[in-house]
Amino acid sequence: MPLIAIQGVSRVYPGDVRAVWELDLEIPDGSFTTLLGPSGCGKTTTLRMIAGLELPTAGEIRIGDLLAFSLARGRSLAPSKRGLGLVFQSYALWPHLTVAQNITFGLEVQRLGKAEIERRRDEVAAALQIDSLLHRYTSELSGGQQQRVAIARVLVMRPSVLLLDEPLSNLDATLRMDMRAELKRLHAETGSTVIYVTHDQLEALTMSTHIALMNEGELQQFAPPLELYARPGNRFAATFLGNPRINLLEGRSERDRIVCGELTVPLEAPLGVAAGAPVTVGLRAEELRLSAVGAGGQAASADGQAASTDARATAGDGASGDATGRARGTVTSVLPTGSDWYYRVAVGGHDLIVRQNALPDLRLGDEVVVTAAPAPLKAFDADGRSLTGAAGLAPREGRDARAAGVTP
Amino acid sequence: MRTRLQRFRLNVTPQRVLAVLFLLVLGYLVVVPLGVMLQETFVVHPLERFQIPGSMPGDFTLAHWERTFVSENAYAFFYRPLINTLIISLGLAFLALAIGGTLAWLVVRTDLPFKGLISNAAIIPYVMPSWTLALAWITLFKNERIGGTQGIFTALTGVSTPDWFAYGLFPITITLALHYFPFGFMLIGGALRNIDAQLEESAELLGAGRLTILRRVVVPLVLPAIFSTFLLTFSRGLGTFGTPAFLGGPVREFVLSTTLYANLIGQRPGIGYLVAFVMISLGVLVLYMDHRIIGTRRSFVTISGKGARAGLVALGRWRGPVAALVLTFIFGVIAVPIVALAVDTVMLRPGIYAWSNFSLHYWIGEASRAIGLGTGEPGILRNPQLMGALGNTMQLAITVALICGVLGMLIGYTVVRLRGTLISRLLDQLSFLPYLMPSIALGSIFLAMFAVARGPIPSLYGTFWLLVIACVVSYLPYAVKAGISAMMQVGPELEEAAIMAGASWWTRMRRVLFPVQKATYFSGMLLPFISVTRELSLLILLVTPATQLATTITLRYTDRGWYPYTNAMVLVLVTIVITSTVVSRRLMKTDLAKGLGG
Repeated sequence: MPLIAIQGVSRVYPGDVRAVWELDLEIPDGSFTTLLGPSGCGKTTTLRMIAGLELPTAGEIRIGDLLAFSLARGRSLAPSKRGLGLVFQSYALWPHLTVAQNITFGLEVQRLGKAEIERRRDEVAAALQIDSLLHRYTSELSGGQQQRVAIARVLVMRPSVLLLDEPLSNLDATLRMDMRAELKRLHAETGSTVIYVTHDQLEALTMSTHIALMNEGELQQFAPPLELYARPGNRFAATFLGNPRINLLEGRSERDRIVCGELTVPLEAPLGVAAGAPVTVGLRAEELRLSAVGAGGQAASADGQAASTDARATAGDGASGDATGRARGTVTSVLPTGSDWYYRVAVGGHDLIVRQNALPDLRLGDEVVVTAAPAPLKAFDADGRSLTGAAGLAPREGRDARAAGVTP
Repeated sequence: MRTRLQRFRLNVTPQRVLAVLFLLVLGYLVVVPLGVMLQETFVVHPLERFQIPGSMPGDFTLAHWERTFVSENAYAFFYRPLINTLIISLGLAFLALAIGGTLAWLVVRTDLPFKGLISNAAIIPYVMPSWTLALAWITLFKNERIGGTQGIFTALTGVSTPDWFAYGLFPITITLALHYFPFGFMLIGGALRNIDAQLEESAELLGAGRLTILRRVVVPLVLPAIFSTFLLTFSRGLGTFGTPAFLGGPVREFVLSTTLYANLIGQRPGIGYLVAFVMISLGVLVLYMDHRIIGTRRSFVTISGKGARAGLVALGRWRGPVAALVLTFIFGVIAVPIVALAVDTVMLRPGIYAWSNFSLHYWIGEASRAIGLGTGEPGILRNPQLMGALGNTMQLAITVALICGVLGMLIGYTVVRLRGTLISRLLDQLSFLPYLMPSIALGSIFLAMFAVARGPIPSLYGTFWLLVIACVVSYLPYAVKAGISAMMQVGPELEEAAIMAGASWWTRMRRVLFPVQKATYFSGMLLPFISVTRELSLLILLVTPATQLATTITLRYTDRGWYPYTNAMVLVLVTIVITSTVVSRRLMKTDLAKGLGG
């Protein structure tokens, strides 16, 4: 059951700047939904429109049974009436108030009884382990402590939805890891719905139950994180997620394979495009394997497995007509990260990034055999749309259909 | 159509409502009076009926324009005062710039000792009434031309001062420069302080010498502040009234402000308004030049100084002598006039500086025609008229400070929240407009506007509220500047967090936005408070016997040659402004320099 339903919402600034354009999104109850995208993609604007701090220029927003915003009905519910809590990127703690006063401000505004206010204050302070800080001023706190106070100030109001706007961007790397785990715990314990804005794919992938990927004001894809990673709906989704970046190879389709210059990727099922049509194949770094072509002509797999003897034979021909997904290349760069090794390999005209997790025996300039084993295959047509099936909601088609038929 | 209406309804926010409201009120208080005043220059006023043959009051006439610009008396009436004004304003601007700039450089960029003391003391000459120095000058250097007595200088040395030194353009320029140099000190000092040390350090790494860095990096960066100082002091020189009245009067040397006053109070209001119009045009010209020459200055001055202060210039063996010179200068400017005025107030018979002549008669004496000057007036501290005027001044200063503080905060809020929209720019500029209007001309437009009832608004002439309106409009630029900078520092999230918590607009203002920037708002209120306390030029045209102020009433005593009363009153005012500056600095951490500047 969707808790928040966003229908056809746009936010257009003067000068026809489309911050958000015709957004349709249904956020499930109890989910940890992340609005992900590069800066300026409209994710924060979307969050602020849900919160009611900014008004859409078109569309409708429902939160549970409440009609939070509807342009057609000229209705906009005050932010505080929407049952939401928002944690700001800057935390926006009031510097002239103590931690306790920051937390109880909203309760006082609602004119709750003194005993009730203190009870709820202590409860939330204990839950977030800030009870010892209550009488300090917020400027005396560390970044992590300020973060907790900001969350406490919101949770004390018992919101049905928690909105978080890049809450970890002001913390250092270690603290960010801790807070990620803590936010995930918070979500699990309270069972409330969380909407989380970030430009950091790692945060999105590790924390969310759902990711709404946005770019240039438009929703690109809405899916659970691992599905989004495995089956991106378009080129943007494929490139935005994944570190290192996905390798994109321009090629053309044939009956049972895609030929990208030196490298050929076999097809298990037809793509549904005309033979010879331009197709882009996406190969993630971990979907490629390297085997060394030894000095004695003996190929050794970087995985430490026994070399497949036919590797040398087939790759040696450099045959574009071969459907085994192998090609010969040269190592142009070796980048160890500690746990993994990244290699850049020149294959024909392509510059591929390959990730290996076992001890390699490769140096700059080595000849290697590259094996592509995409699972599942990611291929895109000339417009960048997936030909191999997208995970979750692919709203673009939906909108196109609506534009064609339903709306005048 | 329906959607448009819905959208309009959704967009009615407190800041938008406020913006429209302020635009209407400011438009009525600033723009409309300008038009009314211009109209007055084409109308025959009752008193002018006999000067313009065959005319009736209210008739259209070009006589004022003819008289002022092309008649045979035009030189004496208009051009000579105009030239005097320009000479004084230019001289004062250059002097203030030289003194203020040098001081600023010494304090910010060298290893001068006693920097804290110097920075604090350097503001005091500006806080004192501008004509304190003029009165002190008269007390020190007057010759037998007025009142038959001689000044302290002549009494001590036996040397009689020449007229050009005692009165006229020379002392006017000097005393005004000594009053306005703190502008230069604060503006240029602020700009120097804001220069990122890394800019100089990188020049140094590239092999630039100290002088090259000063010439090629530092000066270009503070150039906007230098221009601001120059134009600001220049326009202040245009509108100032007290000093030229005191020092120019005895030798019948007029400037535009005294000409305006003489005409408006006398028989020729039409010409008075015309002179005011010329002064405002000059002010607008200055504003225009300011925009043309240094239109980009705002992005210039906001360079934030992150890096450590670059190496200070070592003064070496000059360190001691320079410090002594600077301290002597500043304390001379503060103490000499105060002491001179104080001495004058305790000398029973003027011009005789001896212990036997000591008396507190002018402070606490009873009314008598037999003692001292034989004025029949009691000493100022028991003089109901003077104390009543002082009471009016305090009432006005507090009222104006409060209104300015609230308006500054609200307009600042509106301008910052609606930033980027036309209405925000309009409001910003409209509230800035009075900034460069010569004060006495600004006073005259309110005279034109509110002397008679207009529509639903009754005639306000002679009421306390007219003074309030004039002061609020005049000091609004400072208050709005303080309000804008306060709001800019806060950022919208603090308010949005309160919105999310369900706080009403009023609660947000009261419990979040005001307390967060308390010190800035108090700074924004302190300046109007001090300014009202010492204001003369703006209000001289607007007061009536019922609304006499401490400053304007002193003018009446000066006219009669009763300097001890005037001087004692000025000392009371100086005490009030200096005390309030120091106390509020201690209690509220206010900073006058924050409210100033451009």
